[in-house]
Amino acid sequence: MAVAQSSARIGASKGFTYTTFTAAEEALKQEVREFLRAELPTGSYRPCLGMSADHDGEFTKKMAARGWVGMSVPTRYGGPARSAVDRFIVVEEMLKAGAPIGAHWVADRQSAPTIMRFGTDEQREKFLPAIARGEMWFSIGMSEPDAGSDLAAVRTTATRTDGGWLLNGTKIWTSNAMQNHWFIVLCRTSPNEGDRHEGLSQFLVELHGTPGLQINPIAFLDGTYHFNEVVMTDVFVPDEQVLGEIGRGWSQVNSELAYERAGPDRFLSVYSTFEQLLREKLAEGELDARSYDAFGRITARYWALRNLSFSISRTIDQGGAPAVEASIVKDLGTSFEQEMIALLHDLWDDEEPSQEAATLGNRLLAACILTGPSFTIRGGTNEILRTVANKGLAAWHGVSR
Amino acid sequence: MSGQGNFDGADEYTVEVADPLLMETLHRLFTQTCSHEVIQAAETAGWADTIWEPLAGTGAPWVGVDEAVGGSGGSLVDAVGVLKLAGRYTVPLPVAETGLLGGWLAGAAGLALPEGPLTVVPGRPQDRLTLDGDTLSGVAQRVPWAAKATYILAIVGDEIIAVQPGADGVDIETVRNLAGEPRETVRFERAPLAHRATAPAGVDAAALRRRGALCRSAQIAGACERIAELTVEYAGQRSQFGQKINRFQAVAAHLVRLSSEATLIGMALDATTYAIGQGDAAFEIASLKSIAGDSGSDVIARAHQVHGAIGMTREFVLHHLSRRVMSWREEFGSTSWWREELGRMVGGVGADALWPLISEGSASLQR
Repeated sequence: MAVAQSSARIGASKGFTYTTFTAAEEALKQEVREFLRAELPTGSYRPCLGMSADHDGEFTKKMAARGWVGMSVPTRYGGPARSAVDRFIVVEEMLKAGAPIGAHWVADRQSAPTIMRFGTDEQREKFLPAIARGEMWFSIGMSEPDAGSDLAAVRTTATRTDGGWLLNGTKIWTSNAMQNHWFIVLCRTSPNEGDRHEGLSQFLVELHGTPGLQINPIAFLDGTYHFNEVVMTDVFVPDEQVLGEIGRGWSQVNSELAYERAGPDRFLSVYSTFEQLLREKLAEGELDARSYDAFGRITARYWALRNLSFSISRTIDQGGAPAVEASIVKDLGTSFEQEMIALLHDLWDDEEPSQEAATLGNRLLAACILTGPSFTIRGGTNEILRTVANKGLAAWHGVSR
Repeated sequence: MSGQGNFDGADEYTVEVADPLLMETLHRLFTQTCSHEVIQAAETAGWADTIWEPLAGTGAPWVGVDEAVGGSGGSLVDAVGVLKLAGRYTVPLPVAETGLLGGWLAGAAGLALPEGPLTVVPGRPQDRLTLDGDTLSGVAQRVPWAAKATYILAIVGDEIIAVQPGADGVDIETVRNLAGEPRETVRFERAPLAHRATAPAGVDAAALRRRGALCRSAQIAGACERIAELTVEYAGQRSQFGQKINRFQAVAAHLVRLSSEATLIGMALDATTYAIGQGDAAFEIASLKSIAGDSGSDVIARAHQVHGAIGMTREFVLHHLSRRVMSWREEFGSTSWWREELGRMVGGVGADALWPLISEGSASLQR
C-alpha cells in the first residue's frame, strides 16, 4: 500500500488529484460558516446568483476584517497571505450562501494576484494593502465592442506622451465600473501587424475623477444595472501606472484569465436557487420520482465538480499550472448549471417564473433563467476555451499527436 | 498504516493511492494478454484462460480480500485500482465477482476461498430464491459467469449461501450483456448448498448492491479513461477534407468534453474510495454510480461520433470498451435507479443539510 503525502502526486485520476482538508482548513471552513450564520441567516436576505453578486462595500469590509479579501496578498503588503485552498474555502462558502461579494470580487480573484505578479513595488504598496482592507475595488478592462473572446483584437490604443501614455478607445460590458475604483486596461501599444499577440500592454486606470474617462450605463437583460461602457478620450496615464512590461500584455492577460477559470464561481451560480426550491418543495410534501431523479443528478454533479475544482486549488498551492484542468472545470461547471436551470424549470412548471412571484424560489429561478445564458460566455466563451484546451489534450492524455 | 485514508487532525492530509508496483505489474500483464483478438475470442468462448491463468497467478483478483480468509490482502484502494485497470483493458473475466463481491461474501460466511473464480447473484427484482432444508430453489437472473464459477454466492433472507454451478438441480441458461459477457439465468431445483451461514451485520442485499455499484463504476472509470485516450489519438491521425479531424472545432469540442466527463468519473471514484475508508459512504456510492452512468454515456456517444464508421465495426477496439460501458452502467442498479436513490437521500436530509452533504459527503450525516 502506498500513501501519498500532500506534496506528492496521487495520480489516480489524470491531471486531478483527490484531496481533503487539513485541520486548519477545516477550522477555516467552520469559521466562515459561523460568520455567515451570524451575518446572513437563511431567510433574512435574497441570495445572490454566484459571482454576479450584489455590490456591498460594508459586507466586503467585514470579510476583509477576517482576512478574506485579497487573500493571496503577502503579509508584507498588508494581506493575509492565504493559500489557494483557503481562498477556495472562503469563496465556495460565500457563493453557496449567495453572499453579496460583488465589491471585492474582481480585486480578490484576479487584480491582486496580477498586481503582485507583474506590478512594481510602488504599485504593490499602493494597491495591495487597500485591496486587502476591502477598500479598493476593481473592474476588468479587457472586452471591447469588437474584442470579446478574441482579446487580441482590442483597438483601444495607448500612445507615448511626455511622462506617460494617452489612452483612446472604448471598453465594454465592464461590470460595476460605476462603483469600483480602478480597472486594468488592456491596450494596443504598437500596431496590429504580424503577430497580433505582440504589442499589447496593461495599464492601471482610476475609474473616477480621471479626465477624459466617461462611464455610460448598459442595462443588463434582466433589468439590473452593473454593465457599463467606459469611453476613454486622451486619458493620460502616468508611467507609474503601466502594469508589467510594455508589449507583454498578451501573456499577462492570459495569466490573469487563468485565475478566472477554475474556481467555485464556475459551478455555484445556481446552487442557492436549487437549495431554496428544494426547501420550498419539500415543505409542500412528498415529491415524485421525477423530482428525485433530478435532485440526484444535480447533487451528484455538484459533488464531483466541487472535488475537481478543489483539486485544482491544491495543485496551484503545490506549484502546478493546471491549464487544461481549469478549462475542464469551467466548461463542465457552466454547462451543467445551464442544464440544471432547465431541469428545475421542467420540474416545477406549475407556476410560471417571474421576478415578482410570491415565492423566493420562483423569483430566483426566474433570475437564473434570465441570466443563465451568460454563464458559458463570461470569462471567454466555452467554445473558444475548448478550442484552446484541445491543443494541449494529446499531451495531457500522454498519447501521440 | 492500516485503513486507506487518514485525517488525524495534523496539518497534513494523506490520501492513499493504489500500490504502484501492483498497478505496474497488471498494466504490463494486461497489455500482453488482452489483445484485440483475445478479447474478441473471449466473447465467443465466454472465457479466456490465457488471461485468467497469469492473472490468478498474481493474486490480483483477490486483492482487497482479507488474507485471513484466503484473500491476497491489500486495501480497498488497491482493489479499486485493479478493477479500474481491468476496465481499461476490457478484461473479459469475473475479477470483481471473485474478489470484492464473491470474496467478500465468502469471507463473511466463513467459506474458505477456492482457487477458482467466484460469482454472486446480483439480486434482480425478478429473482425468486427460497431455501428448503439444505437446498435452494428458484431463479436468479444476470449472474455473471455463473457456469465458470467455483461457487455461486447469494444473499437469501439473512443468510449467505453458496452453490456449485455443476451441482444437481442447477440449470444455467446462457444470457449475455450488451458486451457479450455471460450474465446467466440460473434455475435452482432443490440444489444442494455447498455452504450456508448467517450474514453478519453490514452484509445484506443493499450492501452487496453498493459494492457492485462501486466495482462497475471503477470498471467504467477505467474504460472511459482509455476511450478518451484512444479518441484523442485517433482524431490526431485521421484526416478528412485535407486536415486532421482534431482541427475542426466541432470535433475539438467532443474531444475536450469527453475527456472532461471521463475525468469526472475518475474523480468521483477516488472521492468514493476515500469515503469508504472513512466509514459509511452511501451518498458517495450513489453519486458515483449516477455519474459513471451519465458521464459514461456521454463519453461513449462522443467517442463514437468522433470515430465515425470505423468505430461501429468489430475491427476496431472501441466497441470492446463502449459496449462494456453500455452494459456496466445497467448493473447493480441502473443510472436512473441510483439517481432516484440519491434524490431520496437529498430529500431526506433537507435543504439546510444539502451543502454539508455535497461538500463533506456521508461524513456530514454522522454528526
